[in-house]
Parts: sequence; structure tokens; C-alpha cells
Amino acid sequence: MDAQFFLIVLLFSPLIGFLINGFRYRHHSANVAGIIATAAAGLSFLAALALVFQLVNFAADSQAGTSAVHRRLAVDLFQWLDVGLLKVSASFVIDPISAIMILVVTGVGSLIHLFSIGYMHHDAGAAKYFAYLNLFLFNMLVLVTGESLPVMFVGWEGVGLCSYLLIGFWFTDEQKAAAGMKAFITNRIGDAAFVLGMFILFFAIGSLSFQTLNEGARRFADEAPLGWLHPITLATLFLFIGATGKSAQIPLYVWLPDAMAGPTPVSALIHAATMVTAGVYMIVRLNALFMMAPLTMMIIAIVGALTAVMAASIGLTQWDIKKVLAYSTVSQLGYMFLACGVGAFSAAMFHLMTHAFFKALMFLGSGSVIHAMHEEQDIRKMGGLRKALPITHATFVLGWLAIIGIPPFAGFFSKDEILWKTFSSPLGHPLLWVVGAAGAMMTAFYMTRLVALTFWGESRVPKGVHPHESPPTMTIPLGVLGVLSVVGGWLGIPHLIGSAMPFHTDNILESFLAHSIVPLPGGESSDSSLEVGLMLTSVVLASAMAGLAFLFYAKKSTAPARIAEALGGFYRLVYNKYFVDEAYFRALINPLMRASQKLWYYVDVSLIDRTTYVLSDTIRGGGSFVRSLQSGNLQQYALYIGLGVVTVLSIILVRG
Amino acid sequence: MASESFLFWLVALLTMAGALMTVTLTNPIFCALSLAVTMVGVSALFVTLDAYFLAGVQLIVYAGAVMVLFVMVLMLFDLKHEVKAFTRGIFSGALKIATVGLTAGLVSGAIFATMRVSPPTGEPHLAPANDLTAALGQLLYSQYVFGFEALGVLLLVVAVGAVALARSKGGTHAGS
Amino acid sequence: MQGLESFFEVGLNHYLILSTLLFACGLAGVLLRRNVIVIMMSIELMLNGVNLSFVAFSKYMAMLEGQIMVFFVMTIAAAEAAVGLALAVAIFKRFREVNIRYFEQLKG
Repeated sequence: MDAQFFLIVLLFSPLIGFLINGFRYRHHSANVAGIIATAAAGLSFLAALALVFQLVNFAADSQAGTSAVHRRLAVDLFQWLDVGLLKVSASFVIDPISAIMILVVTGVGSLIHLFSIGYMHHDAGAAKYFAYLNLFLFNMLVLVTGESLPVMFVGWEGVGLCSYLLIGFWFTDEQKAAAGMKAFITNRIGDAAFVLGMFILFFAIGSLSFQTLNEGARRFADEAPLGWLHPITLATLFLFIGATGKSAQIPLYVWLPDAMAGPTPVSALIHAATMVTAGVYMIVRLNALFMMAPLTMMIIAIVGALTAVMAASIGLTQWDIKKVLAYSTVSQLGYMFLACGVGAFSAAMFHLMTHAFFKALMFLGSGSVIHAMHEEQDIRKMGGLRKALPITHATFVLGWLAIIGIPPFAGFFSKDEILWKTFSSPLGHPLLWVVGAAGAMMTAFYMTRLVALTFWGESRVPKGVHPHESPPTMTIPLGVLGVLSVVGGWLGIPHLIGSAMPFHTDNILESFLAHSIVPLPGGESSDSSLEVGLMLTSVVLASAMAGLAFLFYAKKSTAPARIAEALGGFYRLVYNKYFVDEAYFRALINPLMRASQKLWYYVDVSLIDRTTYVLSDTIRGGGSFVRSLQSGNLQQYALYIGLGVVTVLSIILVRG
Repeated sequence: MASESFLFWLVALLTMAGALMTVTLTNPIFCALSLAVTMVGVSALFVTLDAYFLAGVQLIVYAGAVMVLFVMVLMLFDLKHEVKAFTRGIFSGALKIATVGLTAGLVSGAIFATMRVSPPTGEPHLAPANDLTAALGQLLYSQYVFGFEALGVLLLVVAVGAVALARSKGGTHAGS
Repeated sequence: MQGLESFFEVGLNHYLILSTLLFACGLAGVLLRRNVIVIMMSIELMLNGVNLSFVAFSKYMAMLEGQIMVFFVMTIAAAEAAVGLALAVAIFKRFREVNIRYFEQLKG
């Protein structure tokens, strides 16, 4: 069958699931709604598999020609906009980049749908929840398959909306509703920049389709290096600001930790695996364009590295299991941006994929823990859950090993590729590597701390809570994701290791993506001894930090408290997340609120309202005065005539 | 010339006196009689202006018919000396008198100003009396015959209307 | 002796001023009197004042049209007097008085 059919199935089966659950959410029980939604997601996943299969076969068919095969399935559904020069058609494309995304989105998405059946079975609004989840899936697929910036923006806004709806899913809790609004408003800032970027690109290149944008960018190759005020630099910077909003980077990352107010599977799907990676995906999609703007790339790399290390440092101090994972997500997204910034787009995609596996796994694991602990999220009240939750523990450990970068788990390959590219790429810098490695150490520490406090050591579970293992609907996704967290990285085994292995598996992913991604200008560095050295350094450092954290937290130790004591003010600074929220409130939100109040009072109430009141009063007063003139007294009327005559005569005499 | 001047001043004084008494006397009957004096005075002034036909019409229509109508109505109502002949209100009264004075003053001013700028040139010259009446008739029945006929229709309508009004039960609220 | 000359040499101005004064008298009567019938008499005064100016112009400018106009005015004045007096009769029947303020009842 042709690509169009599969694409329509891919896109619209979640939408139909949304409509079914959305219109009948009062009538569906949690299980029925969950099965419908999961079936829709699963169907979508099958379509995605079919599409990717076609894409891979595509390569085999036309292997004869060039070495790099142009894999691309484009489907044009209808003409959406035709306004003057702006022509946008609702066209979708499956190429290696979006192929990875649709597999991740539908695959991980289906697993999380399945998990949600168990997680939400007691919730009265489950049907609504599943409807939102399917709607999210639809929008995310529009985002990743859209062939032009406007189509992508539709999905971009759609996932933002679903994120808002799902963060504030338990909207009766005012704090959770506020978290939803915070996410939405913070994203608006980024989205405004995204739109501005689109405007500039349309102005500079004259089209908004990705293909023409990436090709059009080459026109500016002669002008290189492009300055700060060059339209391409500006446009890419604005797009990057849009990405920082969606992907929670400095300075717009503040919404993501608060977004943990939503149900935990939502955190896994939207705020770890898929939506938050949209910014990375967008940059990879436009990689040729971004490569034209080295200044933007520098900014992206710096922001990514800073976010990675800053979020990791906040993660060291948090006590809420989901907050730790949230800051970890921010940090890992920082790595992806770092990879983009140094031009290692395939590494970014690789890390995006592996991160989706292991972070979704850990979020679902934390969901399982929270479920078992009766909505308790504070890791100080856990500990020793290994025995009560064996499956959750086992899979969580897999995710833990993946994220701290122990070979041969998935995170090792992707993170190591990023760090190596950061060091070796012509756009990279050793300092960035140092920052990235520091972030990796912190990651190892806080993740070990999290696992140790939650699953190992002595039980600190309050009396009356009896943790129990979750039902199979929840443990099956954990198992699948656990396996993926192990094997996911094998798609991108670096040449260095691959060549040393008996069955030669080179970097499959990179060659798969090769045609869609612009190669680095300076070519690959191939100093294998340096690469091995750096790889070993990072593994050793991560293991050391993990061991340290194990000693601190799994064994009873007073060291962490003493260190916190010794650091004093600095510890409090980090513990309170560098007071970024407070600073935003003080510097931006409160002045804005006060200014708005002043504007409301002085401009609206005092000026506009009062003006209209004065006007209406004047008119009413004038009207009643004029009405009093018409008294019915005939002699008064005659007097008016006389006065009129006098006036006219006076005017004639004075002027004549 | 002197005799004509004397005649003018005499008639003018008489007319003005009649006019003032019409406005100021409190008994409506005296007002009507003063008005009759004024009508006759104006008729005399028409004579000094060589408008003999109009002088006659003035006497017949105004001093005759219209005045008789007024007096008849007064007799019908049996109106006597009025206690409150003038409207009340000091401010509005002052305003009304000021308006009257200003109108008179401004019109006079306009007359003098116009006469200084463009006085009537040449001697007033109209044909002898009988020719004048004939010419008036010629004009009325030739050039202005349409207006004349319209006036005839108007008088008919007025006659019917006046009768209808006078026959009504009176007041604005006929039912009450 | 400008003043004496204008006393003996009666011209257009004299007639016009006289007509102005007649008109002003009538206006004063209309504005100030309460009796409807007296008010109508004042209106006749005003009309006569205007008629006088027409005839004067007719003579001094040697045009007969002025007299035609006077003829028309007189006719209309007669008609107006007839209608006005009929109205006065109607008011009188209702209120037993002919005060102008009863005409306020006509206000819509």
C-alpha cells in the first residue's frame, strides 16, 4: 500500500480515538477509554512501522545510484493556505529524521497509553485523560511529520495545548491548575519568538517549507560568516528561543519542573520523551539552515551546556522523585542542544531517542512507585522498596544505568557521542566538554542518589502504607522500555568500538540519517586514542560519582547533611533552584502585574471610562437642557424666533 | 412739500399711538378699537404712497372684515378688563423686551446702513391713480394669476376649516 | 440743518422706520400679552408694518410687485385671523378662558 494511506492512519487514528473518547467521556469507564486510546495509539504505531519499513526498503531499491540514498516519502494532503506569495500545503514528510520521531512518539506513546490504563483506573476523569492523550499524540505526529514551519507550528501549538490540559488535569487543585498556566504562558513567549522567526525566514527566503528553507540557506553560503544582524542569524535565534520555550532551556525552563503536577504518565510522555524534544527536533530538521549561522550555533551550544549543568546541580538537592527526574530531563535536553550547537545533529537525534526510552522508563517507574506509595512523592519517605516492587526496581535500575552512561546501556553511547563531538567538532570547544562532563558527573550522582533513596537502604516508609507491585498493564511497558534502554544505544555504536567487535555494527543511525543532515565543515576528527581517553574518563568519573552517591545514600551516612551544612548558603541557593522563579517574579511578573494594574486603573478606569462618562453626561445634560427649551410655551417659541432674528441681523451688520 | 410732511407726521403719530395702545391696554375691547385706529392710519399712509386701491382694500378687509371678526369674538366671549394681561417672569420679560428693542434697533441700523451705501436713485415715479389700479389688475390677472387662484383655494379651505374648528366640542381632549 | 431737513423731506427712510416700529410693537405684543385674541391683533400689527414697507418700496422703486405682495399678505392675514379665532373659540369652550398658556396642552 502506498505511503499516503499509512500516513493517514498514522495521523488520524489518534485523532479518531480522541473524538471517540472526547465526545463520550461521560459514558466510558476508565478501562474502556483506555483500551480505545491504546488501540488508537497502537494502530498509529503499526502505521509508523510500515512507513519506516517502506523508507528502509526505499534505500535498497535505489542503492545503485549514489552512495547516500535520498530517503523521503512526501504526502501532500491539500492546499491549506494560499495568500499572495505564501503558499502552504498540508503536506507531510517521512524521512530518516521524522522516521525516528514517529517511531519514538508512537512506540513510547503506545506503551505509556498502556501504562496509563493501570495508573488511571481509579480516576473518575480517565476517559477525558485518554482523550487528551490521544489528542496529544495526533498533534505531536503533525509536529514531527509536517513538511513546513506552519504545519509544524500547528502541532507545536497543539502539543502545548495538550500539555496545558494534562498538567492541569486535576484542575480542582489550584496549584496544579497554576502549573498548567505557567507552562502555557512560558511557552507563549517561546512561541511568539517562533512566529517571529518564521516571519523573518519568509522574508529572507520566501518559503516556509523545510526543503526550500534548507536549500535556500545555501544561497547565503557565499556571505559567510553571517553577522549578528543577518536575517538568517536572527531567524535561527528566534527559532531557538521558541525551542527553549518548548524544550525547557535557559531562560524558559522554569515551567517544566512545575509541569510535574500532571499525572505521571503524562510527565513521561509529554514532559520527558516527546513534546519537550520538539525544540531539538525542529533544529535538527532545519540543520542546514542553522549551520549557516555559526553565531546561533554558538549560542545554542552555550545555552545547552549551561542548562545541562545548572539543571543537574538543582537535581542534586531535590527531594521530590518527580522533580529530580524533571531537572534531569532539563539537563538531558541541554545535552541535546549542546549536540545541536556543535553540529552533531545525528548525535542529538540519537540522544533524543535513547533519552526517550530511559527517561520514559524512569518516569513510568516513578509512577509505579508513586502509585504503590499512595501518591507519596518525597523520596525521604521511601527507601528499601526493592523488595516490594521487584519489577519496577529492576527496570528502574536499567534506566539508571542507561542515564549515567555505563556501557553498554543506551545512554552511554549517545551521551558519549555528544561529549566526543563537543570536544572534537570544529564548532565545539574543550571548555564545553568540561562543562558537559561535569554535568554527566552530577547526573551520575543525583540519579544514584534517587535510586538509592527510593529502592535501596532501609525502609523509611510511613506506617499504614503498604507498597505493592503494580498490575501487568503497568509492568509490561516498564519491561519493554527497560529492554529498549539497554539495546537502544546499539543503533549508534561508534566506529571506534564497532570496528573492534566481532560482528561489525557501525553507527547505523548516523548512516541512516546521513542524507538528511549536513556534514560538519571540518570533517570528522579521527584521533582514536583521544576518543578512547575521553570515553574512559567520562565513564570512570560517572562511576566514581555513582559510587560516592551509593556510599552517601544507600549506606547510612551523615556525609550529605554535613556537606550541605558546610556549603551553607550555596546549598540553600541550589536547593531553592537558584531563586530563578523568584527572580522572574521580582524582575518581570510583578512589575508587569503592577504596571497592568496601574494601566487598568489610570488608563481604563480613570481615563477611558471617565471620558465616556463625561461624554455621556454632557450629552444627557445637553439633551435635558434642549428638552427644557421645548416647553410648549408658544411665547417662548416666539422668543426663540426673535432671538434668531437678532442673531442673524447682528451677524449681517457686523460682517457687512 | 410741507403739507405732505405734516400729513405724514400726523398719520404716523396716530398709527403709532394706536399700535402702542393695542399692545398696552388691558381691556381687549379697547385693544381692538386701537387696532382699528391703526388700520385706518395705515390705510391713510397707503394713500400718501399713491396706493389708492390697496388703501381701499385695507379699509374694507382689515378695518372692516377682520376687525369685525375680532370684536365679534370678543363680544361672544364677553371679555372684560384683564387682571393679568402680561406674562410673568422678570428675567424672561426683560429678555423679551430686549429682543424687541434689539430687533427694532438692528432693523433700523440695517435700513440706515443700506441707504447710506445705495440710496434709491432717481425720482419715485408711478403712473396716475386710475392707471395704477388698472396696471395692478393687469399684473394680478396675468403674471400672478396662479398665486391669485391659489389664494382663492386657500380661502375656501380656511372657511371650511374655521367652521370645523369652531363646531368642535372644544379643548384638545374632545372626549373628556 | 440736517435734522430739520429730514423732518420736512419725508422719504423712504421715514416709512421704513415707521414700519419697523409697527413691527416691533406687534412683536412686543406677541411676546408679552397673555390673551390669545390680543396676540392675534399684535400679529396683525406686525403684518401691517411689513405691508407698509412693501408699499413704500413699491413707490420709491417704481415697481408694482410690492403692491401685489401686499394684496396677497392681506388675504392670508384674513385667513389666519379666521383660523386663529376659530382655535380661540375652541380653547374658550374648553377652559372658559383664552389665556395663551392653555395652548401648552397642544404640546405633543
